[in-house]
Amino acid sequence: MSNFSVGFRDTDSVQILDLKGELDAHTASELEAALQKCQADERYRIIVNGTDLQYISSAGLGVFMAYIEEVREEGGDIKIASLQPKVFNVFDLLGFPMLFDILDTEDEALKKFERDGTASA
Amino acid sequence: MLSNLISKAPQGPFASSLQSRGRRIFIAVVAAVCYVASVVFNVIEWQSAEPFSVVTETAYHVVVICGYVFLWFLLSYVFKQRQVGPLKIFWTTLVVALIFVVVTRLILGVTLPAGVDIDSTTLGFEYGTGVPLTLATVVKMNVISLFQALFVFYLLLRFRDLVLFKRTKRSQRNWYLMLAFMGIASLSAIGKDPSTEIDLIQGLAVVPAVILMAINSFRVSWIVYLSFREKAAGIGLSILLMILLGICLSSSEALAGLEAYLRHYSYPLQLFTELTIAFGLLYGVTSFLFLIFHLPTTSDFQRKAGEVTAMHSLTNLVSQVFDPDKLYASITATPVDAGTAQMAWLALADVRSGTLRPRIVSAYNTTVDAIEEMVDVQSLYEELDARKAPVTIDEAAADHRINERPGGLIGSVLMTPLLSRNEMLGGLFVAKDVMQGFEKDDVEAISVYAAQAAIALENARLFEEQLEKERLSRELDIAREVQKKLLPHTLPQLRGLTIAASSVSAHEVGGDYYDFLELDDDRLAFIIADVSGKGTSAAFYMAELQGIFRSVSRLVSTPADFLEHANLALASALERHVFVSVIYGIVDVEKEEIVLARGGHCPAAMISLDGEARFIRTQGLGLGLDRTELFRRSLVEKRIRLQPGDVFTLYTDGVVESRNRDGSEYGYDRLLDALKTYRHEDAPELHESLLEDLDNFLEETEYDDDLTLVVLKWHGLKVAEMAAAEDPRAASRSTISGRTQHRIQSD
Repeated sequence: MSNFSVGFRDTDSVQILDLKGELDAHTASELEAALQKCQADERYRIIVNGTDLQYISSAGLGVFMAYIEEVREEGGDIKIASLQPKVFNVFDLLGFPMLFDILDTEDEALKKFERDGTASA
Repeated sequence: MLSNLISKAPQGPFASSLQSRGRRIFIAVVAAVCYVASVVFNVIEWQSAEPFSVVTETAYHVVVICGYVFLWFLLSYVFKQRQVGPLKIFWTTLVVALIFVVVTRLILGVTLPAGVDIDSTTLGFEYGTGVPLTLATVVKMNVISLFQALFVFYLLLRFRDLVLFKRTKRSQRNWYLMLAFMGIASLSAIGKDPSTEIDLIQGLAVVPAVILMAINSFRVSWIVYLSFREKAAGIGLSILLMILLGICLSSSEALAGLEAYLRHYSYPLQLFTELTIAFGLLYGVTSFLFLIFHLPTTSDFQRKAGEVTAMHSLTNLVSQVFDPDKLYASITATPVDAGTAQMAWLALADVRSGTLRPRIVSAYNTTVDAIEEMVDVQSLYEELDARKAPVTIDEAAADHRINERPGGLIGSVLMTPLLSRNEMLGGLFVAKDVMQGFEKDDVEAISVYAAQAAIALENARLFEEQLEKERLSRELDIAREVQKKLLPHTLPQLRGLTIAASSVSAHEVGGDYYDFLELDDDRLAFIIADVSGKGTSAAFYMAELQGIFRSVSRLVSTPADFLEHANLALASALERHVFVSVIYGIVDVEKEEIVLARGGHCPAAMISLDGEARFIRTQGLGLGLDRTELFRRSLVEKRIRLQPGDVFTLYTDGVVESRNRDGSEYGYDRLLDALKTYRHEDAPELHESLLEDLDNFLEETEYDDDLTLVVLKWHGLKVAEMAAAEDPRAASRSTISGRTQHRIQSD
């Protein structure tokens, strides 16, 4: 059975997705479904919390690539927070920090969204 | 519409013996001879003016009855061959009856003076003996009897088809019993005086015939299959028929004397015709009554019949599993065609998107767009999914999920889940423009139908899955073949350098790629790459990358340039979620250096002879992640001077991410440790040792992911020259690991 799950948490303006378990080619569709739901709900400010994310494969990373463009076109962003070192290493190897805001904590990510908001306003 | 034609009756043994034309002619001749003989008998009787003796009388009856029995069988055969619908039976019988009445009336009327009492004498028979007095009497007697017999035979044979409509063994038995008792009752009149009425014994013989006649007259099931208009016509015809038959039966003015002529000719025949006409009248009455009673329910019956027919078309669903779209169309069309609803649509859970968002796949008598506009498909579907039972919405206008005014197209909705092993495959929605349009029996009918439809859907899904599986497995075979061909079969030979390489694909086809290209005598380009994702698309991108590597390598001077070109070239081909991690480098044996650039790939591991190990983790984005100039800016080249004994290891994440049974990864540190341990070996042995170390850690040789390992060892130009003096080929030993080649094949 799938040992991956996505939890939804809302703040006023930001949708937080808590990833848990192992995100690979088989479980990528669940994250995809979660991001689709965000789009359907028109919530484009998204934080992906990786506190409980044990593993990510290239297919898992692909999901972020698939949705980031549309989210940004809508004026939102996907920020990644609180990754475990090993998982961060996978993001880092591919150069994801150049493309995504990857932050140490969820709070920092929220603050980053606030700053983005004021910067653009 | 159900056929109005009465089903063809099976041929009895006698009828089948009439199949041959010769026999039919024979029968006809015998019947004719008997008829002529009866005329001769009557002429003789008239001439002799004496009544028959008992013997002659008996012979006369035998001849007459034989003649008519043969006539009966002949007609019976003819009418079985030409079967017609119920209404036609009625009106043809009516016409025949009319002709008979008119002709008989003419024959009787011409010869009888008006206002004279009808008795034997006035009719031309001698009072008391019944002997014909004139030749005219003889002729009239014979002609009228023949007409009468033809008429009742026609009536009986035609009504037979009505009575035996949708016959059962029992109804067939009742019919033949009735004929038999009618025959027995008639025969009981043999030898009776024509001027006397039937007595007690005859009356008793008639009773069972009458009872059976009554039973048979209730066989009117053909009525329910008639349309409204046909029933109305049937009522009119049955009234006319009742009147005509009433005239025939009653000894009224119109046909005065008919009965007497017949009786003098043959009392049994007269009794038989009377019973037959009575039966015809009885049947006419029951038909009339049943037609009247069924008239108002015609439309209901037709609707039910439509439903029945529609449910029969379920068998068609089963045969349509090979074409899902057609199946969806039939599933929605059937309830509407059956008259249960006015529009229908079918929503299926969209499994492809990974969510339970329903998708309307087919709509009948409406359009998918119109439904999506009027109805909140999602929330209706969710309710259905929660209840897993049919749900009726009696007032659609009052339901917030349906955006429809009262009096609009959707008045009430019946939704039914399509369940397969308690999993909801989809929902069938049918709607009517009236409120409360669905009764309990509608819900039941649709439920039964939905269960069948669900089976068909499930079968279609399984069929498609199987097809998909087979297609995938075929594709994978091809992809595996392609992948095998894309990887190098031989390794280049460069002085001072040994090379070893291997790639193992896991269960599925992966996207690992490595390759070498000799740019000139001194320079060798190398690449290692990992396409994200697996399967045929990964193999396709690999092939694309190979093309780029083989062509662009010669055109560019630096690794960063190569990666920039590759990124541009791939960007148009790659799907948005697919990217390629890569290391590209150039070894220059003359300059004794390696220049490389990393595009998101696992960092190359390097170890020198003294055991100093490190990862070369330069900055750089994976191919396909960015299509702007950011990609080029992200790239940092690394130039490394080579010292003899330096080992340079390239690998894919399958190596470091391989996990043993406890779930711990092989990891970067173990890789470096192994390199330290075996760094003195030449590339082929070192390569082998590294894989062995990995296998020992994993305790198995089954890998979860593709696994590629490339080892380059620099021996230095001096070693190369020394070795060249002894054995020109020793210093540039390069292998593609034999063991790992074997693994590629075994996968």
